[in-house]
Amino acid sequence: MSERASAAAPNLLSPEVLASLSNLDLVARAAVHGFLNGLHRSPQFGFSQEFAEYRAYSEGDDPRFVDWNVYARTERTYIKRYLGETNTHLVILLDSSASMAYASKKNVTKLQYAKFLAATLAYLAARQHDAVGLIIFDEEVRDHRPPSSRIGRLHAVLHAIDRAEPGTGTDLSVPFERFQQYQKGRGLVCVISDFYCEPEAMLKGVQPLAYQGQDVVLFQVLDPEELEPDLKESALLEDMETGEAMEVSPIFMRSRYRERIQEHLEALAKTAARANADYQLLRTDEPLDSALRNYLTFRQRRG
Amino acid sequence: MTLLAPLFLLGVIAVGLPIWLHRLSSENPNREQFSSAMFLEPGEPRRVLAKKVQYLLLLALRVGLLVLLALAFARPALQGAAQALIEDTAQLHVIVMDVSASMQHGDRWERAREAALDVVDAAPSGDLLQVIAVGRGAQALGDPTLDAASVRQSINALEPEYSRTDYGELMSSVDRMLRGIELATIVHVVTDLQQSSMPTRFAELAAQTPLELQIHDVSEAGEANWAVQSIVWQAGGDQVSASLRGFGTQPVSHDAVLELNGARVAELPVIVPPDGTITVTFPAPELRAGANRLEVFLDPGDDLAADDRRFMVVKRPEPRSVLLVSADPRGRDSLFLTAALEAVSGPLTTVEPVAPAAISERNLREYAFVVAADAGVLGAAETEDLREYVAGGGALFLALGQRSGGLSIVPVTGHEYSATTQIGARSDGFTIVGAMDSGHPAMAGTEELRMAKFFRFTALTPQDGDQVMAELEQGAPLLIDHALGEGRVVLFASSLDRAWNDLPVLPVFVPLVAGVTAYLSGELTVQTEAQLGTTLSPRAVGLAGGQIFAPDGGAALGIAAAGSGNEVVLDQIGFYEVVGGGLTELVAVNLDPNESDLTPVEPNAVERWLSLNAGSVQGGGAADLELAPSEPTPLWPWVLSLLIVVVFMESWVGNWHLRVRRGIAA
Repeated sequence: MSERASAAAPNLLSPEVLASLSNLDLVARAAVHGFLNGLHRSPQFGFSQEFAEYRAYSEGDDPRFVDWNVYARTERTYIKRYLGETNTHLVILLDSSASMAYASKKNVTKLQYAKFLAATLAYLAARQHDAVGLIIFDEEVRDHRPPSSRIGRLHAVLHAIDRAEPGTGTDLSVPFERFQQYQKGRGLVCVISDFYCEPEAMLKGVQPLAYQGQDVVLFQVLDPEELEPDLKESALLEDMETGEAMEVSPIFMRSRYRERIQEHLEALAKTAARANADYQLLRTDEPLDSALRNYLTFRQRRG
Repeated sequence: MTLLAPLFLLGVIAVGLPIWLHRLSSENPNREQFSSAMFLEPGEPRRVLAKKVQYLLLLALRVGLLVLLALAFARPALQGAAQALIEDTAQLHVIVMDVSASMQHGDRWERAREAALDVVDAAPSGDLLQVIAVGRGAQALGDPTLDAASVRQSINALEPEYSRTDYGELMSSVDRMLRGIELATIVHVVTDLQQSSMPTRFAELAAQTPLELQIHDVSEAGEANWAVQSIVWQAGGDQVSASLRGFGTQPVSHDAVLELNGARVAELPVIVPPDGTITVTFPAPELRAGANRLEVFLDPGDDLAADDRRFMVVKRPEPRSVLLVSADPRGRDSLFLTAALEAVSGPLTTVEPVAPAAISERNLREYAFVVAADAGVLGAAETEDLREYVAGGGALFLALGQRSGGLSIVPVTGHEYSATTQIGARSDGFTIVGAMDSGHPAMAGTEELRMAKFFRFTALTPQDGDQVMAELEQGAPLLIDHALGEGRVVLFASSLDRAWNDLPVLPVFVPLVAGVTAYLSGELTVQTEAQLGTTLSPRAVGLAGGQIFAPDGGAALGIAAAGSGNEVVLDQIGFYEVVGGGLTELVAVNLDPNESDLTPVEPNAVERWLSLNAGSVQGGGAADLELAPSEPTPLWPWVLSLLIVVVFMESWVGNWHLRVRRGIAA
């Protein structure tokens, strides 16, 4: 594809484009392929399908990876090795609380965005033959798929992501406890949530994982309107999780609220750093690129 | 309070709209879902309270705005209960204003108005007032009222007319109007007490209704008046004489001026003898064809300008002949027609019979009109000649005789009919005339037409715009007045000999021919002078229809009413112009000469008149009196002013409210 054609093509990672795709599997494929196309022009990110070396075939190796061209020329069996092919797992903790159903005008809901991200991460991991697991939670664990690299696992995970619906409140301790209960080996943990909780509460859940040797990535998904609300007139705002209603003025939303949410974000980032976790804020009006880059950075670190 | 347009109160229903919208808004004041209330805090209570207060104020203003709007359109007014305000001792003051022409003299009318207003001012506040104007007739300007302001307004709005007053008629009119009123009544007659207005019988000045008469004489001693009393166009047409008269006058030099059609044609110095008459004779000016406006006036005029000039309509007599088209100039139809035409008096002196082929050799415009004794003898060329002649303003009397039986359409006019003539439906073999338009100028004096027996006739179908002058019993038209271009055609649906009817040998044949002749020639004896106060219609001047223009140039009978037979009351002096069918006729209207005589009634006669009406009545009849509703005081201007204030307040409060809602600092 030429540069011009590529530039003219729609951004396959933008939430609007992804939202127009009906199938989550298709969403994940579109996002990953769109992302990888971009990576091919970025040499610093050699990864995954890139050829690394040939290795003599030994018993137990998968015959699918034998390079038959080399065999034809040399009558010896060699196996192609790719970068990133290591045995690791990815567990995605997807927050499906009621607050994740929020969406301002023209934007997808936070849950939808989170689902795109979760599906894309799962697909990306599966392409590298990593085991993929999933925990969907709100106040309770709604769905749990332990990590597995079996054929068909990806589809099960994608299906579970697709079924996720906004639930009730948020309790981060629940998914982290469940994760610790079932996951013993080291791996990569991606937590996708809006993190409407106290940073300390988040720390309580993340820190044990870090101690366990897990690499934790915190993706905080927020709507632009939550970060920079633009209220035209006084309004009665109702908490989507608790139902608590409060009449607020535009002045407050333009000044004090923004300060509060920024303080909260900064506190979350600091807390994540304290827990040795990576933290990234994602806006629902932005493409998934940065999230995927962040994931790959971690993946390389793990590799 | 009363509402002059109560239907607009339905608009108050619209009040429900802002209430409903505010209710919706208050139930759900921009309720929105938000992810988390974790970082929210409620607005300041003071600001919330202020918002609610402004919100209610805004609602009240909007509701008030709609109510005021509906109320403004309903035009509220304050009206007192007049009946309840009348006391038992109340009297009725009837102010009778003489609006005859003599009241225009000098400043009589101003004095009359002041006298009337003085009566109003002098009347006790509980007394009822009523104004009656007496001129051409008596007209009450409203019912009795307590509202002196409205009475003053009526008096100030009154103006004298050109009419004449007769005190006998004045008293009987007032008497008639006051009949049945059992209230002590004082009749104030405000007049100039002209002797000429006194009735023939003194007893006519006595009212049947008991009343107290008070006469307010607005004349002043020594008032003089000159008048042109009459104009005479001398026999032979070579002189015009005018009679000038002075009333209470001294010998003063005047110029007597003769105007013809608006142009001054003669002027003679004259000294009218004191209280005498003088006749001025002018050489007759050259008249133009048709009606001429002749006017004699005094220069300079005096304090009563209306009788300083007199108007007359003069027509130039023109001898004309009639062209009789007949296949046999010595036939019966020609014989009967010639005899009848020659019997018709007036300037039509000759009848010239010609054969149809000779039409093209004649200049048809030189004839008063053309008679075709039988349409069947007209060839195509003759038909075309006649059509062109009529369309150019000519007139044709066309009979459908025996020779017309073979035609399917009437020559010249194009009326369709069946080729065979109809035989009378009666068992004895004839039919007679049914309906007749006796109002048609040509049908005057032709009532005996019903005596004629018609054995055969041609069943014509009238065209649009035709006037059926007479029809047979079966409903078939016998005489049709048809307009063609600028001219006219009178169709006779039978023969003019004795073959199809016995009309030519009946006496009515001559007046019928005379009427048709006069109508078609335009020499019909028409009204050229009329009295003030009488009526005028286009038919009175020989036109089938038309507009009538008053001397002041206004359309007294508009084009919409033209031809409908409407009449116009002549209430101005001067020339009324009647325009219709391409013709213009004039009617001169002059002031009644009695109005020129300002000689006052003898004092003893006034005393006797007052004594005749010195009766008294008992009060207390106010309960049965039909009162004029007092003029309601309009409140809508106040409502409108309040509405404007509320609109501004609504805008201000609305803006304030929005600022609070949007969190803009005040």
